[in-house]
Amino acid sequence: MGLVVAATVWLAATNQLVLYIHPRYIVFTIVMAVLALILVIASVTGRFRHEDDEAPPRGVPRVLSILALVIASALALAMVALPPATLTSATASQRDINSTSVGPQTQSVSDAENAPADAFSNFTVVDWASLLRQTVDPGFYEAKSVDVVGFVTPDADDPQNVFYVSRFVVTCCAVDAQPAGVPVYLPDWSSVHAADDWVRVTGEFAVNGSDRSQQPLAIVPDAVTAVEQPSEPYLY
Amino acid sequence: MAEEAHRHTVARPSRSRWIWLGAGVVGLCGLGALRVVLDSAAGFSLPNQVQDLLTLSISVVVESLPFVILGILLSIVVQVWLPDGLLQRYLPRNPMLRRACISLFGVFLPVCECGNVPLARGLIVGGFTVPEAMTFLLAAPIVNPITIITTHQAFGFDDGILVARVIGGLAIANIVGWLFSLHPRQNTLLTPRFEAECRRPDDHDHALTRREKSLDIFVREASVIMPALLIGALIAGAIQVAVPRDVLVTLGTNPLWSVLAMLVLAFVIAVCSNVDAFFILPFASTFMPGSIATFLVFGPIIDVKMLAILRTTFTTRVLVQLTVVVALLSALIGLVVNFVA
Repeated sequence: MGLVVAATVWLAATNQLVLYIHPRYIVFTIVMAVLALILVIASVTGRFRHEDDEAPPRGVPRVLSILALVIASALALAMVALPPATLTSATASQRDINSTSVGPQTQSVSDAENAPADAFSNFTVVDWASLLRQTVDPGFYEAKSVDVVGFVTPDADDPQNVFYVSRFVVTCCAVDAQPAGVPVYLPDWSSVHAADDWVRVTGEFAVNGSDRSQQPLAIVPDAVTAVEQPSEPYLY
Repeated sequence: MAEEAHRHTVARPSRSRWIWLGAGVVGLCGLGALRVVLDSAAGFSLPNQVQDLLTLSISVVVESLPFVILGILLSIVVQVWLPDGLLQRYLPRNPMLRRACISLFGVFLPVCECGNVPLARGLIVGGFTVPEAMTFLLAAPIVNPITIITTHQAFGFDDGILVARVIGGLAIANIVGWLFSLHPRQNTLLTPRFEAECRRPDDHDHALTRREKSLDIFVREASVIMPALLIGALIAGAIQVAVPRDVLVTLGTNPLWSVLAMLVLAFVIAVCSNVDAFFILPFASTFMPGSIATFLVFGPIIDVKMLAILRTTFTTRVLVQLTVVVALLSALIGLVVNFVA
């Protein structure tokens, strides 16, 4: 208990809780964790009832309960000792990029048509992915410049020439993270970038030059530059 | 680690306790130092899958932790700070009506399912029968105010999902409570360890002040629930890394298969009832409304993390029966909504 709570408070102090849960739960989590921390300290220093001398179970149940305790402690130790991290492209490809519509506030085609030209540079990969799901008419994307940040996930059908610049969308916590991404057509991209690298991609959508990829459109990038992982790696 | 420290120290003079506290703090700092070393060690990284397993498991822990703590605190309030028998006094005598009232307790408690376990344990210790506590346990996460608000935010009154969820949850809780009340020997439903705890004579406690009693319950519940939570989270994380999501999603459009797929999804996903409506919302376009209702009814009651936590209190046999009954009833609700709506 102490370990897990201390780890949570620590994560909160270093602003890394966002790696695991949606920002709206952070205050509640911190309040509860601090309360628990107080109780943990109080119970170590305070006086309380004598634990009854139960005979420990024998045989298989005993082995199981020790094993369980070891596994639980290992996870608790990992929480403190290992650096926190975001989900990786392994989960992104396992969960099928864009397999479900993401987020309640997605962009609609009619809204986007009337948007001023400079609005598009603020669109995230999620905005673009939701537009791509609604229309693949190349005319719609003409003269709309793309400027997005995300991590690299190789395309399943044409990993040499196409990758997704992708983000996870979180509604509650990392468990429910849904990957969203837009395809980028850049032949032989892996000579410069590796999967899971965070990149900033600028360019415009055009007909996908790859013949094996199933995506009709892809970003033809003006530039793909390596960037630091953002402090809030997930989108909401 | 801290739990073990408590267990060793109970009988010793208080000086050694300060030593344990010191040891805990030093140990924590040691782990922190290890972390700094690992951080700076260039090129250190786990394989992606292992890293994601850890991230997902820790995410389940971090998400559930505040609710568990809140549950333990409420359990302490019920056991120590409320006057004896206050709750029992105002409940009807008739067992059926009594359980119906108990299933509505949750309306006042914004605690999701993992936090309800310590609270239900507190109710049993406080004199409620096992089926009554079980009714509370199953109904509370679904009728709790936050769950209702988030479900309404996500779905409104569309397709009867919200109504099916609340009424279905209450019905299942009462039916299960009734089924287990038919069991001739209620005590055998509980694990031997917890059963012994319930029978502990009360006069044992009189030497302690309320504050000390509260701390005692906190330590006892935390040391039982936390390992279960950690293991449940690890299993949930492992399943997520291992099972491809699209297998489930492709089943989504058939009235029967989509209900079954949602049962499986609810079982493996293990998010709290307070937030699961947001989780399932993106799937609403793929799955039929009845299947969503199945997910929202089954998920709060049974999932891998919950089973690990419930195992602290109920025997494996009871949990198997519980899972089968609740799964069948939730599937029934889903099928009805699918064919009616």
